[in-house]
Amino acid sequence: MTAWKETVGGRRALTILRSRPFLTVAIVAGVWIAASFASRGFGAYGHLRYLVELAAVIGLVAAGQTFVVIAGGIDLSVAAIVTVSAVSLPLLSWQADPTGLTAVLAVLALTTTIGLVNGLGVALLRVHPMIMTLAMATFLQGLLIIIAGGSAVTAENPLVRWLGNARPAGIPAGVLLWLAVSVIVLTAMHATSFGARLFAMGANPLAAALSGVPVASTTLAVYGISGFTSGLAGVLVLGMNGQGYVGIGDPYLLASIAAVVLGGTSILGGLGTYAGTIPGAILLVTITALITVVNASPGWRSILFGSLILGLLLLSGREQARR
Amino acid sequence: MVATAPLLAARGVSKSFFGNPVLRDVSIALQPGRVHALLGENGAGKSTLINLLSGALRPDGGAIEVGGRPVSRMTPAYAQQAGIAVVQQELSLTASLSIAENIGLGAYPRRFGLLDYPELAVRARAACDLVGLHEPLSIPVGHLSLGRRQMVEIAKALYRRPRVLILDEPTSSLSATETKVLTKLLERLRGEGIAILYISHRLNEVMALCQHVTVLKDGTCTADRTLEGTDASGLVRLMVGRDPGDLFPHWQPSASAASAISVRNFSAGLMRDVDLDIRTGEVLGIGGLVGQGQEDLLLGLYGAIPARTASATVNGASGLPAGVPKANALGLAYVPADRKREGLHLIHSIITNLMLPAFARLPALKLRSRRAERETARGLAVQLAIKGDLGRPAQALSGGNQQKVALAKWMPHDPLVLLLNDPTRGVDVETKREIYMMLRNFAAAGKAVVLLSSDTPELVHLCDRVAVVREGHVVAMLECGALSEEAIVSVAMGAEQRRVAS
Repeated sequence: MTAWKETVGGRRALTILRSRPFLTVAIVAGVWIAASFASRGFGAYGHLRYLVELAAVIGLVAAGQTFVVIAGGIDLSVAAIVTVSAVSLPLLSWQADPTGLTAVLAVLALTTTIGLVNGLGVALLRVHPMIMTLAMATFLQGLLIIIAGGSAVTAENPLVRWLGNARPAGIPAGVLLWLAVSVIVLTAMHATSFGARLFAMGANPLAAALSGVPVASTTLAVYGISGFTSGLAGVLVLGMNGQGYVGIGDPYLLASIAAVVLGGTSILGGLGTYAGTIPGAILLVTITALITVVNASPGWRSILFGSLILGLLLLSGREQARR
Repeated sequence: MVATAPLLAARGVSKSFFGNPVLRDVSIALQPGRVHALLGENGAGKSTLINLLSGALRPDGGAIEVGGRPVSRMTPAYAQQAGIAVVQQELSLTASLSIAENIGLGAYPRRFGLLDYPELAVRARAACDLVGLHEPLSIPVGHLSLGRRQMVEIAKALYRRPRVLILDEPTSSLSATETKVLTKLLERLRGEGIAILYISHRLNEVMALCQHVTVLKDGTCTADRTLEGTDASGLVRLMVGRDPGDLFPHWQPSASAASAISVRNFSAGLMRDVDLDIRTGEVLGIGGLVGQGQEDLLLGLYGAIPARTASATVNGASGLPAGVPKANALGLAYVPADRKREGLHLIHSIITNLMLPAFARLPALKLRSRRAERETARGLAVQLAIKGDLGRPAQALSGGNQQKVALAKWMPHDPLVLLLNDPTRGVDVETKREIYMMLRNFAAAGKAVVLLSSDTPELVHLCDRVAVVREGHVVAMLECGALSEEAIVSVAMGAEQRRVAS
């Protein structure tokens, strides 16, 4: 009897050890340890904290992206939505709002609406997610150029500033925000029927629909969530940066998808977890930091970054064949 | 009869798929200058036999002979060399290529190593003229109607100047005039000494065109004779006469007068103007040849495809359900035919598959209880005898067990009406028996079962009534007393019409 329990426990431990999220965590730990030996100061608490703070932005964008990808879609408008959030928030600050909360909520409502429009196109008009979100991104970029032009706008919003700079108990507020979002995301994904529907839709949309899953409304919700988390990331990046400008969100498109895939979520949908995306985001930031240390020209940095992502995916992230 | 060597023959061939015998010791000989009919019900093994003759499959036992000599390794390439051309039931044309390119595909004339388009045009034109295809050769096949595409497919076969021509249900998508052109063409080819194998469900065509017939039933040959002196009903008897054995449970009729679903002038997909009452406590069969619209009937009732109706009552609510979630709420459940594509999430665990309708129904943000899910799934597995670890992905299960999962997932919701789309297709005998038991018990408990089936014995031995569908209409509602395989098949094929007409 005890032996049986031990084998079950042993098997469970083995499953965790072999799981993709754990593998990604192990890679991050390995890179951190190796890098702190190679480069003095890399392993300092302050530096690692800074890395996680940077990763928080990617992690927030990738939260929505993970939902979308698991449900069988993809959101290519996240970068544009981050920019919309970071550029429109400074324009919304007014005197009657001393905390800045109203402006933040208004911006989040705006980005969520953008996401819902994506969802409408995908679910009701049956536009392919890639086309729908790419068109949305192009539309938003055009709109931003008209509204904001080429100039950077400075954020006066107190809440945004606090979010970007405060460190309650020594931990950056942005990281705390990411932590809170992670808890909510993981709960929604793995402990609610909503989450179970996402996985079913991603694995086999037809079978999900015939089993009574409300596919249209779930799709709508998923893109809405992606708009919301991208908006949140925009608020955070504005706070950390102090200024918003057109193009501020651009790095987060590839980063969000790479974090999702590095974390072991299937790009084909139906399999995965945000628990892998979290270390995936940290891994991406770490790689960027290492490349900066190498002291190469921006062109080479970009080439190196792209090659490293490809290499990592080949190492760990290859899709298993599906029957 | 002249005793020449047959151009193409199968001698005692057998073939199994995954241990299920599909053909057992079947022989057929195609003589030059003869149109040979191949008849049999859905799943009797006709397509498999064609695939063996054309080299697409290799027999497990027996031999294929070409010109009287056995061929050890029959391949599609060898078959083409030997002048064997097959017109498949599922069209093998490429929609974006032109008519001429499709006709010549794989056998293009070449000049200096390049494709010789003028030569191709000349030869394709000749083939098209034979079948009465006068469209310009340069238009893409995708722009043609289904019937014209079928003619292109036949022209493609003729382009290769075959000595043996195999046609798998060539007229199923042809208009009356096109059929007439084809009939004349086949008569002429026969006169030129070509051997023709003709598969069709339209018995009057077969009677008019063919000289010899081979009948398959459950993978064995039940007749190999000339068509002289037989009639349509005799052929039907040859195709279906079989012993049902004790596969089916004994049951007492439990139908009540109350109707679970009642529709008037119902149209969905291929189905037109259907009046149907489904009573509680009955198993209502839906029969007919494959693809006459039966599936659209189920999907329309289930709210999965758009449907129109003059009036409808579904479990006391008026009007058809506006979507699958609504249908589920009204007590309808649907088990699809293609379990891999429509019924299951193969990469997910069996537990998740069993719980999916529950996830779809529960409030979206309600927290899951993994323990309760495991308990429910284990209960269902015991109830339906689904064996093995429930944490495995569903793709690890055998076909029969997968089907049980697709059925079992609805049981916790206690559906009032079960809509089943060919639930025993590709399922082993033991599981079939279990499923039959379940369906009868379900009906006895006062629920309604709608059983769409391509397996005629199932309809005869399991159903209280059978609605036979032909070309989108319910052409007959056979009551239990009048149920026989002959009756269903002859209504499905329109053979009774012919008898009245002649």
